[in-house]
Amino acid sequence: MEEGERESESERRSAPSQTSDQQTTTETSRQTPETEEDDVETKLDISSDKFDPLLALYSPQVPLPFPNIRCFNNIAEYESFMKGGRGRAKPENVEKRLRKAQKGKADPERIERLKRLMVNNPVEEEGEGSGVKRQPRRRKAAKNVLTRMPLHTGSPLGELNRCVQEKIRVKVHIRTFKGLRGVCSGFVVAFDKFWNLLFEKLKVQESVALSAVENQKSELHSSSSRLTNQTRRTDPRHTQERSEHSEKDKTTLKAAQQFKTKPKVEYGRVHTRHVNQLFIRGENILLVNLQLE
Amino acid sequence: MDIVSHSIRERTIAENSLVILLQGLHGQMTTVDLRDESTARGRIINVDAFMNIRLEKVLYRDRLGFMSSMDDLFITGRNVRYVHIPDHMNIIETIETQLAKIHCVRNFGARKEYSKNK
Repeated sequence: MEEGERESESERRSAPSQTSDQQTTTETSRQTPETEEDDVETKLDISSDKFDPLLALYSPQVPLPFPNIRCFNNIAEYESFMKGGRGRAKPENVEKRLRKAQKGKADPERIERLKRLMVNNPVEEEGEGSGVKRQPRRRKAAKNVLTRMPLHTGSPLGELNRCVQEKIRVKVHIRTFKGLRGVCSGFVVAFDKFWNLLFEKLKVQESVALSAVENQKSELHSSSSRLTNQTRRTDPRHTQERSEHSEKDKTTLKAAQQFKTKPKVEYGRVHTRHVNQLFIRGENILLVNLQLE
Repeated sequence: MDIVSHSIRERTIAENSLVILLQGLHGQMTTVDLRDESTARGRIINVDAFMNIRLEKVLYRDRLGFMSSMDDLFITGRNVRYVHIPDHMNIIETIETQLAKIHCVRNFGARKEYSKNK
């Protein structure tokens, strides 16, 4: 019966529109021959009231209102497309994607355009020392450690920047856990917000703590015994005496008070050395002193 | 050996501080003075944004003056006091090279047709 219906349909219509679905064929069989054609057409016409999706799905030729439209694999894809996604809905990006589809061939026109934009960039970057980096593409000004240096005008860091620019000799006091370790004198080349400093032609004068009597008794014990072996430092005997004395102080104290003992530090002689280039971490800096002459 | 850190956070921290200079010292033989007065002389493998330093083939001298040699040493950033920079290195150039590397990595996904790395 289905076959018969199909055959009769194809006789009447120039474009064979065969339905393999049982339901639709039974439907059409009820209709009169004259309206059958129109009916099928209206059923396949998306904008009509009588649109039959099942018929449309199975019919080989469905008149599409917009044949050259973009195809999606599922509704979710359509949804994300409509939301704009990465700007795909815009016409200029459609063209862009078409070009990308032909990615294999290096488009010389495009490369030339890019080259024209970029051609000055390498020369400029080398020319400007620690200045601002200019971007060929519309991007906000680069913010990096070098560009941030001049930004601190008005504040102490701005003063430090002045030292960098005018090559003023600077004295930096370095701290130990409690108090002053030494003084460094040199030229600052670079700095950052943590007060990490990059020094050039540095003269370091520091005194190294011999024994830091802090917490553990055992540590002190071992260190004081080692002190006698050290000949480099000043007066080991003298310091040993003092450290022994302080050790006695410690032993009289209860064990519970071990962590609260007064730290007694013995300092050695001041050592001076010259370093060409040195990086100082900011947290060790006590103060910075400008040496204006 | 990572030239640039994979984390955006570390890259930004490094970019805006002087750690980037230390990152430019990869592979150099340097001396690191620690906060506790000990020193470590070795080849820098890696420095991260928090100034944690990894050294190899280290000659470590502890604060009491005792020398020992180590294959690998990791120093926490907070324990660094000084980092000696080799004399032959130009500071500004090293910083700029490192910044350029970060920019390259940042712009990686944008346009592949025209390569920035010449």
